[in-house]
Amino acid sequence: MDVFYQQLINGLSLGGIYALIALGYTMVYGIIELINFAHGDVYTLGTFFSLAILTGLGVSGEVHGLALVGVVLVTMLAAMLLCGITGVLIERLAYRRLRNAPRLAPLITAIGMSFILENVMQLWKGPSPIAFPAVIPNPSFQAGGVEIAAKQIMVIVLAIVMMVALQLFIHNTKIGKAMRATAQDRDAAQLMGININTTIAMTFLIGSALAGAAGFVSGVYYGTTWFFNGFEAGLKAFTAAVLGGIGNIAGAMLGGFLIGLVEAFATQYIPSGAQWTNVVVFSVLVLVLVFRPSGLLGEALPEKV
Amino acid sequence: MRLGSTIARLSAAGLIAALLAGCSSSSTTTQSTTASSAAPVAAAAGSVIKIGVELPLSGGDASNGIPTRNGVILAVEESNKTTIPGGFSYAVDDLDDAVQGKHDPAQGVLNTKTFVSDSAVLAMVGPFNSNVAKAEIPVTNDAELAQISPSNTNNGLTQGDDGKKLRTSHPELNSYFRVCTTDDRQGAAGAAFAKKLGYKAAFIVDDNETYGKGLADVFEAQFKKGGGTVLGHEHLNSGQTDFKALLTKALNLHPDVVFYGGTTVSGGGLLRKQMGDSALKTIPYIGGDGISDATFLTTAGTMANGSYYTVAAPETSKLASATAFVANYKKRFKTDVGPYSANAYTAAMIEIAAINKSIAAAGNKMPARVDVTKAVAATKGFVSPIGTVGFDANGDTTAPILSLYKIAGGKAVFVDQVNLKT
Repeated sequence: MDVFYQQLINGLSLGGIYALIALGYTMVYGIIELINFAHGDVYTLGTFFSLAILTGLGVSGEVHGLALVGVVLVTMLAAMLLCGITGVLIERLAYRRLRNAPRLAPLITAIGMSFILENVMQLWKGPSPIAFPAVIPNPSFQAGGVEIAAKQIMVIVLAIVMMVALQLFIHNTKIGKAMRATAQDRDAAQLMGININTTIAMTFLIGSALAGAAGFVSGVYYGTTWFFNGFEAGLKAFTAAVLGGIGNIAGAMLGGFLIGLVEAFATQYIPSGAQWTNVVVFSVLVLVLVFRPSGLLGEALPEKV
Repeated sequence: MRLGSTIARLSAAGLIAALLAGCSSSSTTTQSTTASSAAPVAAAAGSVIKIGVELPLSGGDASNGIPTRNGVILAVEESNKTTIPGGFSYAVDDLDDAVQGKHDPAQGVLNTKTFVSDSAVLAMVGPFNSNVAKAEIPVTNDAELAQISPSNTNNGLTQGDDGKKLRTSHPELNSYFRVCTTDDRQGAAGAAFAKKLGYKAAFIVDDNETYGKGLADVFEAQFKKGGGTVLGHEHLNSGQTDFKALLTKALNLHPDVVFYGGTTVSGGGLLRKQMGDSALKTIPYIGGDGISDATFLTTAGTMANGSYYTVAAPETSKLASATAFVANYKKRFKTDVGPYSANAYTAAMIEIAAINKSIAAAGNKMPARVDVTKAVAATKGFVSPIGTVGFDANGDTTAPILSLYKIAGGKAVFVDQVNLKT
């Protein structure tokens, strides 16, 4: 049974990262019905920004005490801000002009943006994997026979906190209200005096900032990154968003955790299971979509944000 | 007016043509500078023979590819200082098979076709990775172009039915050779070393590529034969970065060694790094030459320490025959030799010797590719930095020497060497 709980922790922490990325996918889809394929690369960019900030701060190893809180907060917030700005710029430069174009055009543009970001990162840090400093001390806790690392708790908690904060933001602020209105009916929202451009830019800002947070967390968690990281993670996160019901925030979170768990348990309980994880993940996706075409939580909420 | 503009156009065209001619002639001179300054024989026009080099020269594999290519450069430069029949000179033409940071079979095929279409290319060194070779061999076989790999270790590339399938265009003519030994020997050496180090229970992981899986399968069979227990054998997904679940599974089986078949970029580096986050951190890690690159050290970080790897090549610093090569390499490139530099040098030297022989046989004229290939195939007792090399009927080396290294203090330390002549 210990192995089961250990894999539960492994799955939840992997899923936490998927979930953080999935939030951005789902927000953007909710508001402009665009699958933003560049989102996975914005996440990788988050790791790169964090690495640059840490280098700038002169941090190359573990930090303790109050300095740790400072370093983590400064790095994460700065990475979130920089990623947010990147997201807004991508929307402004590439997607806005295509807002009323046929659906395929922005989709292809998104794939193009993804390639651009990947190649920019390859030029920036080179094509080899890069080491990411182990900023956070990583004591592990024993609970029964299960070992939980501090970093794993951090990933899971952060993912949940971010989702709750996002949910509160969307339901309790004026901008959140504007976002929900825009998602429901863009033209009607505009007639009601909502600035569509600002609202959509805000969506990209928040979604990309979350990817930035995920980037920082994954850098700390895995201790390494490279320019191509976002491809695989982006694909899984997108799957998570669809699984949970694309456009639905709680769904993205649920989907992310579910995929992480499925991967962990498939690895453990299928003989030679590691190679079958993707097969299992996508089989689950197909099955869910057959019986619930709008995803697990897709119909529970009428709004798309 | 009209006449004027025509004249202007004509003169512009002439200018462009002159510029182009200038460009092409200057590029020819750069290519053969080493040749013309060194070759005592007056070179006839168009007398450059190219050795095609097909390796991963960018990305995670570049730390392997570049020192390997340097071996070929050194061989070509040294050969140009000798008298080459027919007044020919040699040049290196290198192409990169890495796409988005990783060796890519499709790109390898494209590069090989580029060489095939260039009549100046008479032989080729490369590729580095077995899956790339698998895609390239049918192309070189079809073109009868001699190809020597410094590092491909997968058995199926030359041996058995798998090898035959790759040579469908010219089954009678083998055009693919290698100066390193094969995975059955590398896997066997890995298993033998593991046994020697006292390990009895292994957990095996491979990257599901031609090279990695082949290596891991041989290790598994040989390790069992030697009395060891294999607790599990898992295959990674391409692009996978999180191995925590896999490692939890491994941990609960209590292995005393983890064997990895594959390359650093396809997961070997990260897998080792993440072992550090669990109780597996004290368990040694054994791999093949796929993790013998500098990228492994940066990816795995401090966890690289305590890893072992085999290399399908002799340790050049331990070989008397390699002393001159190592010194010349250091002098030329100002860095230490890579694990496959001497192999690449030897591969190029074998090809150059074969081309020289074919030039003489063709009456000091440009020889046909098929003759060069036949001359390479006939290589026996070739004295090289890596010992006396020859090829068997399959194109495999007749001198299978392997070395074992351990990483300690962030550096690879030579441990043991074995000659598995069978």
